[in-house]
Amino acid sequence: MIAFEGVTRSYGEKIAVAGLDLTIPRGELFALLGPNGAGKTTTIKMLVGLLRPSRGSVRVAGHDLVRDPRAAHLHLGYVPDEPCLYEKLTGREFLWFIADMFGMSKAAAERRIEAEIANFELGEFADDLAESYSLGMRQRLVFASSLLHDPDVLVLDEPMVGLDPRSVRIVKDLLRERTRDGMTVFMSTHTLAMAEELADRVGIMVRGRLRFLGTVADLRARATVPGTGGPAVGAEPQSLEQLYLDITSADGGGAPP
Amino acid sequence: MMPVPRSADAAILRPISVGEESGIFLRLRWLIASSTLREMLRTSRLRLSLVILLSALFWGSLFGLFYEAFTFVDSLHAEVISLLFNAFFSSLMVMLVFSTGILLYSGLYTTPEARLLLTLPVRSETIFAHKFQEAFWFSSWGFILLGSPMLTAYGIVRHAPWPFFALLLPFMVAFVAIPATLGGILCMAMVAWMPRLRLHALSIAFGAALLAMIGLAWMALATPRADTMSAAWFEQVFSRLSITEQRMLPSWWLSSGLIEAAARAKDGSVALHQTEALRYLAVLISNALMLQLVGRQVAARLHRLGASQLVSEIPTRRKRRMSWFDEFLSRAGTARGRPLRLLIVKDLRIFRRDISQWSQFAIFFGLLGLYFWNVRVFNYQHSYAAMIGFLNLAVVGLILSTFTTRFVFPMISLEGRRFWILGLLPVNRDQIVWSKFLFSFVGGIVPCCVLVLLSDTMLGIEPWLIALHEVCCVVLCAGLSGIAVGIGARMPDLREISPSKIASGFGGTLSLVISSLFIIAVVLVTAVPVQLRFAAEERGFASTGWTAADRGVALGLTAAVVLGLLATFLPLFLGLRAFRRLEP
Repeated sequence: MIAFEGVTRSYGEKIAVAGLDLTIPRGELFALLGPNGAGKTTTIKMLVGLLRPSRGSVRVAGHDLVRDPRAAHLHLGYVPDEPCLYEKLTGREFLWFIADMFGMSKAAAERRIEAEIANFELGEFADDLAESYSLGMRQRLVFASSLLHDPDVLVLDEPMVGLDPRSVRIVKDLLRERTRDGMTVFMSTHTLAMAEELADRVGIMVRGRLRFLGTVADLRARATVPGTGGPAVGAEPQSLEQLYLDITSADGGGAPP
Repeated sequence: MMPVPRSADAAILRPISVGEESGIFLRLRWLIASSTLREMLRTSRLRLSLVILLSALFWGSLFGLFYEAFTFVDSLHAEVISLLFNAFFSSLMVMLVFSTGILLYSGLYTTPEARLLLTLPVRSETIFAHKFQEAFWFSSWGFILLGSPMLTAYGIVRHAPWPFFALLLPFMVAFVAIPATLGGILCMAMVAWMPRLRLHALSIAFGAALLAMIGLAWMALATPRADTMSAAWFEQVFSRLSITEQRMLPSWWLSSGLIEAAARAKDGSVALHQTEALRYLAVLISNALMLQLVGRQVAARLHRLGASQLVSEIPTRRKRRMSWFDEFLSRAGTARGRPLRLLIVKDLRIFRRDISQWSQFAIFFGLLGLYFWNVRVFNYQHSYAAMIGFLNLAVVGLILSTFTTRFVFPMISLEGRRFWILGLLPVNRDQIVWSKFLFSFVGGIVPCCVLVLLSDTMLGIEPWLIALHEVCCVVLCAGLSGIAVGIGARMPDLREISPSKIASGFGGTLSLVISSLFIIAVVLVTAVPVQLRFAAEERGFASTGWTAADRGVALGLTAAVVLGLLATFLPLFLGLRAFRRLEP
């Protein structure tokens, strides 16, 4: 459903993403982890069509983001780290704008808007102007708008920022439910616990390269006994945090398995 | 046919047509406009009334001015209208290319809305059309406000038939669309092919165009002092302006069309001239439409590419060190006053690094300086020069008041959002308010006093009057700073993060109104006694020694100082009191 094929993106002489080959099938929740400046945001921007790869191609549902962005966007939903809303529109008006842009029929749009308002508990403030919303309310509204057209691929950039615990739970439940229904989720996050809890596979990016690609169980299997460099056979497993720090440290990690 | 995505409700999705996309954007614009208007009527009636009143006043004054000017020109040099129109419209055309280009740069690439639209299944050409309409409106309203009184006055002076007035708006709109679209195309091409130059290049080109026009005006008008307004002077000026009369320029089509629309044949018939005018209008409209088509094609090819190029830009990293002045200000003086000085240094540093603040400051004061430098071209009588000196003082005050309202007034509100920093520092709240006042007062006094000195020197004003103007200038700087900081502390808007929105709220409007009234009051109480003194002198009442007229001038100056003290300390007192109790 998502395919990065030999994707490289450079900023002048600096290479932000180097030769990324990654395929994410339908119904998978993929979490991209990495320290600041690792290339996660560049990867996300290429995936949603805000940035063109210097080399290689990015495809969503078979559509190239550079050659056919409109067709690709019909299959995409995107929740950015900084939600953008029209301040002088109400939440409901914003949802209608998005539904219209995706060419939804009036009846279908009405049905989906009400469903998402209920899903994200937006009813109380859906008819207030967006300028009066808190960060959490904005984030919930953007989530609702990104799911309106039931996209094949949902791209999330630090999705839980600004959400209260109840909203986090709503989002987590929703992601599980939608991925079961076949939606593919590509999520960038710093929260290891969330990746562990939700992701089918994780990728750890360091300096533009994927240092690790696999399931959380694979990641744990890479645990090493400090000092030996070998696999942790029968040894006390390291914490996920320690594993992550080992992989992302300057000399740690290695090629993807 | 575009394939539709997976969806349990697959029938709900379909790719939409260009017309539908445009319809959605129109609906979006309507919703935003009506919501903004409703809110304005609910919360900013004062501001709205002021805008309407001041616009009407501005329009009326311009109409009067142009009416007199056209009557004068019509009686003396009827054939020069074409030259004046061509010079005026060609200058505006260049300005419109750059202003629309800069506006579209922001609308198409840098705003959060631009990023949102790029992630939706919408065509680039529709995004261009949507953002172009906005830029077109923002860059052309000034032209309409300036051009409509001028052309209405021209029509009335020339006894133009009614179709002239009916055709004014179509002519202006069709004309503006041409440079505006060119600006848009230029902007998209630059961003796509020269992303590193982007806004800097546009701004530099805009500045160069502005300077070129000022240079052209200078070349056209600059003549020896004694020759000004003579027949030879007119001839020379018109000969220099004739370079703007180029048949391939839209400004020529507009000028010629308007002149034809206002003309009558010797027998009073208008049909022939009207037909000719309509031909020029058709040329303007067809070119505007053709350029729109080109603009959309360019958008389809370059918009996404340009947006990607801009995202690829690496922010330039510059190591910033403390300047010697900041260092000096931080360390000089007593330890007790150090927190106050550090707050001023912080504001000074933010001001220096915010191009939008100092560039506007430099442009407005620079243009004012250029004008003051140029007043020497004209000959003035003794009392007339004094009057112009006072008017110039008022202009300096008014420009300063726009800066204190736009940049100083929101400072306290913006600090409110950083209370978690300031609240934990060993600084009391009074010091925060005083630091803003000192920053504004000291920052304003230097350029304002220099400008007033320049104006008075060029006008050949006597030293005692220069001193009086300088005292008034200091009074204005103190009063305007007191009003902006005091009202800003009394009516802070702690939720808003945009300084322009804070300034355009009720508090900002109130600050601007009080500032304007204060400037008028200070100038009037000092200018009237001075003019009376000159009148007495001209009628031979003046004598040596301390006369009644001198006492009047002294009284006026005292009144100005008292007004200044009131305007400085009363708002500051109210502001300090409110700010001490403020709960962020």
